Amino acid sequence: MSLIQVKNLNKTYEYYKKQPGLLASFKGLFRRDKLFTEAVKNISFSIEEGELVGFLGPNGAGKTTTLKMLSGILYPTSGEAVVLGHKPWEREKAYQLQFALIMGQKNQLWWDLPPMESFILNKEIYEVGDKEFKRNLDELVELLEVKDIMDVQVRKLSLGQRMKCELITALLHKPKVLFLDEPTIGLDVVAQKNIRDFIKKYNQETKTTIILTSHYMEDIKELCKRVIIINHGEIIYDGALSDLIQKYAPYKELKLTFDEGKISKDDLKKYGTVDQFNKFGANVQVDRTRVKEVASKLLSSKLPIDDIIIDEIDIDKVIRRIFKEKFQK
Amino acid sequence: MRKYWTIIKTAWQQNLTWRFTILAYRFGEITEAMILILLWSAIYQGSSLIKGYTLQEMITYVLVGNLFEAMVRNYLTHKIARDIKDGTLSIFLVKPIKYLKYMFAKEFGITILPFLMSCASQILVISFFLNKIVLNFDFAYLFLIFIMLALAYIIELFISYLVGMIAFWTVEVDGVFATIIKLRKLFSGGYFPISLLPSGIVSLSMAMPFVYSFYFPMQLYLKKIDLVGGAKGIGLQVTWIIVLYFISNMIWKKGIKKYEGVGI
Repeated sequence: MSLIQVKNLNKTYEYYKKQPGLLASFKGLFRRDKLFTEAVKNISFSIEEGELVGFLGPNGAGKTTTLKMLSGILYPTSGEAVVLGHKPWEREKAYQLQFALIMGQKNQLWWDLPPMESFILNKEIYEVGDKEFKRNLDELVELLEVKDIMDVQVRKLSLGQRMKCELITALLHKPKVLFLDEPTIGLDVVAQKNIRDFIKKYNQETKTTIILTSHYMEDIKELCKRVIIINHGEIIYDGALSDLIQKYAPYKELKLTFDEGKISKDDLKKYGTVDQFNKFGANVQVDRTRVKEVASKLLSSKLPIDDIIIDEIDIDKVIRRIFKEKFQK
Repeated sequence: MRKYWTIIKTAWQQNLTWRFTILAYRFGEITEAMILILLWSAIYQGSSLIKGYTLQEMITYVLVGNLFEAMVRNYLTHKIARDIKDGTLSIFLVKPIKYLKYMFAKEFGITILPFLMSCASQILVISFFLNKIVLNFDFAYLFLIFIMLALAYIIELFISYLVGMIAFWTVEVDGVFATIIKLRKLFSGGYFPISLLPSGIVSLSMAMPFVYSFYFPMQLYLKKIDLVGGAKGIGLQVTWIIVLYFISNMIWKKGIKKYEGVGI
């Protein structure tokens, strides 16, 4: 029996249509159209102990909704899910003591107090013993390098520091399952890397099962061996990341910014596939293995290129490729 | 139990960081009491007795009543509504803790400091009017009043909790809340003694739980109700608490089914 098992899970939200305009607002006082959004459509998957799985998908795909159902925040419209032997939406204490949820955009630390106070509060909520608390806390503080901010008001911490404290709060009771919803959102590049490195190391050392959602390919690429792609509420890919990259994202994108000077699309064609082109810049798609070589060639060439960004392929493009292949089949 | 004590301590600490705000509020409170005393003094120019109250009793009603009101108040309503609207409630749904107990413990922790400061400032004001008010040092009465206020505090928490849960069904709670605050104050006797109103409304008020936060304990203080009457009132309060507890649980179960955790 897998640690996490999901079968035919569905979630439909109802909402009222809000028409623009003053007259429509008046009409809305008396009668409104009720509409439905199918946020999650019939998804099934299972996850074993110790896996670090990435849920990837564009905004609004259904990743967060899925996570909310697995953590018990939402009731599904239909379908089953079992995590650690429990139905999440029954919110049994025995289940809640064994998992943790971090939502990148929601803050659970007490704003006006130092993070230590929130840690102590969580210690009591999760019934962690004194010795165990001290040991776990010291370990986590060491790993995340936050010793010197323990007494600073959360309000005064940077986003990256706050995220680290959120992680500590969530892991103090050594959960068996960790749900991370967009943990690196809004963070700068260095902070993102720190958080990613920590998550990877933590999963390797403690074998905690982790589900991570993101709309950044970078997050998933760095952390997950297995990735589940969700689009419009449906799973369109569930498998090894390496296969995904090989089949659908074998290239990286060079985002070029042009300087003053003449440059034509043909000039770039020999370096790679030109995806977009206008007088300000262009996107050139280059094979992963050759991208550094091509970038340096471009910069040292006579072409009026002012700036180059080497970027991961956009998840939307990956998804389009997957659809194209399915459609062609 | 230990977790709730920790919540109270943490909330107390959080509130200490807002000391100046709490102090500033006290000036407003004192001003309001002064205005009411001026008003009643003017009204009593024409007669020495209004519906059984002398000027002295009325001033007592304002000053001592405000002290009682400061002891039982809470600000839970908009906090509950905000948690529901912002989706912050989700955090509690995943943790092994009951939201109601958590919020009650937190509110208690947060109101200790304003409560102490309010009592201090009200007592300070009272000391200026010592010769103008009725003084009741009868231990039996004060003891009953103390119990009544403690129970009224709990009743007020439940009422705020229930009103706050309206947010499960509509995002537009501001207007509703503003109106409810005024109604609560009216029916508790916070503006003036209930007995000034027509008898039909008085009966209606006495059948609701709000009176125990102001009017009823004041009637006890002024000895317009005897000890037996006070004990009966306390009995009714206990009944109210039980009823409100059950209604709260019921509404919570219904509300949580509608909750969508939006606001991410």
